[in-house]
Amino acid sequence: MSTHQKYRYENDCKPDENRKKGASRWSHCRKRGADGNLRKSHEVEEPGKCSQSSHRPESFTTPESEGPVSRVKNWGDEVEAEEMRSNVRRDMHRYRRRILEADFPQRDRKISSGSSDSRDSRDSKESPAKGDLETDETTLIRRQKQINYGKNTLAYDRYIKDVPKHMRQPGVHPKTPNKFKKYSRRSWDQQIKLWRVKLHAWDPPAEEGSDLQQIEEIDLGEIMDFELDVECSADTGSQCPTSSGASLSLAEDSFTGTPKKMMKIEDTEML
Amino acid sequence: MENSSKEEYKIQSFDLETQKLLKTALKGPGSVDLEKVSNVIVDQSLKDQIFSREAGRICYTIIQAEAKQTNGNVFRRNLLNRLQQEFKAREETRKRSTQEWVCLVSFICNIFDYLKVNNIPMMALVHPVYDCLFRLAQSDALQNEEEVDCLVLQLHRIGDQLEKMNMQLMDELFNLLRDGFLLQDLSSMGRLLLLEILEFRAGGWTLSETAQKYYYSEVTD
Repeated sequence: MSTHQKYRYENDCKPDENRKKGASRWSHCRKRGADGNLRKSHEVEEPGKCSQSSHRPESFTTPESEGPVSRVKNWGDEVEAEEMRSNVRRDMHRYRRRILEADFPQRDRKISSGSSDSRDSRDSKESPAKGDLETDETTLIRRQKQINYGKNTLAYDRYIKDVPKHMRQPGVHPKTPNKFKKYSRRSWDQQIKLWRVKLHAWDPPAEEGSDLQQIEEIDLGEIMDFELDVECSADTGSQCPTSSGASLSLAEDSFTGTPKKMMKIEDTEML
Repeated sequence: MENSSKEEYKIQSFDLETQKLLKTALKGPGSVDLEKVSNVIVDQSLKDQIFSREAGRICYTIIQAEAKQTNGNVFRRNLLNRLQQEFKAREETRKRSTQEWVCLVSFICNIFDYLKVNNIPMMALVHPVYDCLFRLAQSDALQNEEEVDCLVLQLHRIGDQLEKMNMQLMDELFNLLRDGFLLQDLSSMGRLLLLEILEFRAGGWTLSETAQKYYYSEVTD
């Protein structure tokens, strides 16, 4: 079975290349691809290409390997994992110090610069008792990864530029969950979810088909407005592939001025 | 200013187009193909002895620049994975060309020295570095002055750091060196190099004044 699988991988797509560079359903808001490269904002989703889920790294345990093989097999990944662990430990030290400072407030304490996820130690209502921190490294790393996903978005970038920290109003503005507080797994996951949903308010405009933005500039009148409305109400993600296919073809033929209605019927080869 | 950066990063040995690429990478990593840059650097390190001992510097700078500009670490990841490939193929490399092999070792050790993670050496590299040094401490390699020279150079540069990361392996390595020194039929230079490094470590990774005089009195700077 595995030989068959390997054959399939090699034929369909080269596993490493596409897995890291290809667009997936969720990639349109992400600032950076899985290989770390900044995405260009007009990268178009290609439904024909392999999505991330169909590929597994070779280092996964397979029957013919000598035994359980760790997924993290290359130095690049190992060092990134080291860095994450080390960052989490450093964050922990800083947070502990901040909690201590909160207990002994000093008048002219400067606000420390640089972003950090756990800045609410000063609010005594919320701050955990000294012994009440989350200290399990696996948990902290997992939480940090989830936070990183959220921060690695165009929306987050726009948010922090839009609303400086001292202007943030609790409840109104999204706040990064504090990974050092004790929460159940479900509670934490829910907080992350809500945080990310709130961040969507800062999504760049017309994200679902940035090629639509290009069309907008070519003045095609009310026809386009209708198309836009349909595409942009896509927070529900209920886009059917046909309509994106049509909008793609619209982009290409926009110079010929073919009416939209004709497009949808004729351009089935785009799909 | 241009010449000093050439000097600092030792990139004179590259052709002009590559030099330009590297300079651009140093200033604005976001605008270049970082995978290509990392390959260019690794390739050159395997050919150029001087560069292999100093390439860590330029790598460090590019990594910092990339982190600052785009918050990414594409360059570091590509560099490390490429390095890992070369490391895996080290035995063949050694058979094919001693020069390439010692360049590879120098380069890996230089990377270990320069690329730290939050000021701690990369743990992922500790065993590979030791593997290389152990290979150099084998009896066939000790016969070869080029390899002994490489071995002692690395130990001078990163021996103390390596020892901190893993004392036991360092002890084992030095046992091999001691045995080699005592039991093997080495050239007089080989013997001298080993003796010096044995004393060096025994003195806490530094050379006493008398030892300094003994080994280096005839060396002109």
